[in-house]
Amino acid sequence: MSYDLFLGCVIPARLPFLEASSRKVFQKLEIALHDVDGFSCCPDPTGIELLSHDAWLLLGARNLSLCNGNGGVVSLCSGCVETLKAVNYCLNKYPNQKAKINEMLKDSGHEYEGNVGVKHFAQVLYENIDKIKENVTRPLTGLKVAVHYGCHYLRPAEIIDWDDPFEPVTLDKIVEAIGAESIQYDLKMECCGNPVAKSDKDLSTSMIAQKLSSIQESGANCVAVVCPACFQQFDFNQKEVNKRDNTNFEFPIFYLSELVGLSFGFEPAELGLNFHGVKTSSLIESIQPSTS
Amino acid sequence: MLILVLNYDFRNQMIGETASLSSCYQCATCSGACPVALLTNGKFNPRKIIEEAILGLDGKLIDLQEPNAWLCSTCQKCVELCPQKVELTEVFTRIKNESFIKGKAPEAFLAQASSVFENGIAIPYSKPINQRREKLGLPAIKTADAQEIQALLKSVNFDSNLQKKGE
Repeated sequence: MSYDLFLGCVIPARLPFLEASSRKVFQKLEIALHDVDGFSCCPDPTGIELLSHDAWLLLGARNLSLCNGNGGVVSLCSGCVETLKAVNYCLNKYPNQKAKINEMLKDSGHEYEGNVGVKHFAQVLYENIDKIKENVTRPLTGLKVAVHYGCHYLRPAEIIDWDDPFEPVTLDKIVEAIGAESIQYDLKMECCGNPVAKSDKDLSTSMIAQKLSSIQESGANCVAVVCPACFQQFDFNQKEVNKRDNTNFEFPIFYLSELVGLSFGFEPAELGLNFHGVKTSSLIESIQPSTS
Repeated sequence: MLILVLNYDFRNQMIGETASLSSCYQCATCSGACPVALLTNGKFNPRKIIEEAILGLDGKLIDLQEPNAWLCSTCQKCVELCPQKVELTEVFTRIKNESFIKGKAPEAFLAQASSVFENGIAIPYSKPINQRREKLGLPAIKTADAQEIQALLKSVNFDSNLQKKGE
């Protein structure tokens, strides 16, 4: 099994440790990821598309045109997945748009037929859940995980075409397959608020603050995410919330790949967990005492 | 005093681009599900934005930004729940695209757009990040040729609209 890897902008250039854990987990599962030269920004469905739908469609189609087969393209970011899936959807639904875009791409030597399959890395993990179970050497018993699906992993459902838009199960099942417990909480399906930060920082902070309160009430001891925007909002902005609201949230935030990696026996340092904002070490030590 | 005008061209453009807009019967399911409407006590209100789009009130939507479409978190709950299958996020995108053309996009959006225009990617690779990548055993990434991306973006007037900020 092999996929082209679409890294996007945020993970490789700001959060490379999330890329490291993902590559390690995929390698262990014997799923090959091919690096492709020449990708641009996906472009961001919560940024560039809002300024210019045409620019978004054009660069999205160009990116897809660079994927050349294998099992399609996989991305580590929910925003990139949404863009690539939505561009496919638009171009296939409106053939005249596709013709127009291809005309514009002609000068730079690209053409896109509209047939590249797009998957989120968590979808690939879910499709390999049995293989994940076989590779668990250190089950994450004692980890009480508040799963945050995020919006773009699920919606718009007609385009994403994967899990249920309001009652999803895939991430909970992966968390449970590696020995952790998935904790239910009231605001599980709410947005983290990251996209709003570009227009109203305070509103964005309120959105993440209410999620953190709800997670605290649930008794969870950490959070799992599958999108770099959600990761930054939960991890780096937790101290913003504490400063503004005089709270003392200290939830370690894990990327799903990091949790799977820990359960496969990778050491926290190999996964780059030391680069997180909120420290993860004492929680990990409490469930996986180091042997050294 | 701003006189509100029903702009039929704007209205027809909106409905022409998003036909589902004309199916809205103003039930406000969208506003009930909207996390931003809840936190702003209805100051941001998706139902109201749709109403103004149907009426062709571009003066309110784009010039005054009342309600401010840029506050939408793009969570897409409204789109899933709308009983009339109105593509609300698509309508909001059209409004924001029009605002960009008129130089009325928030600064942080323009900063990201400038980086994509200059570099082809939103976040350029800094030296410390490249060192960190090496330490983590990650390969060097060859991204798009910036000149090629600039030429493509110019073909849809992205650069000239970017220049309009603050006009």
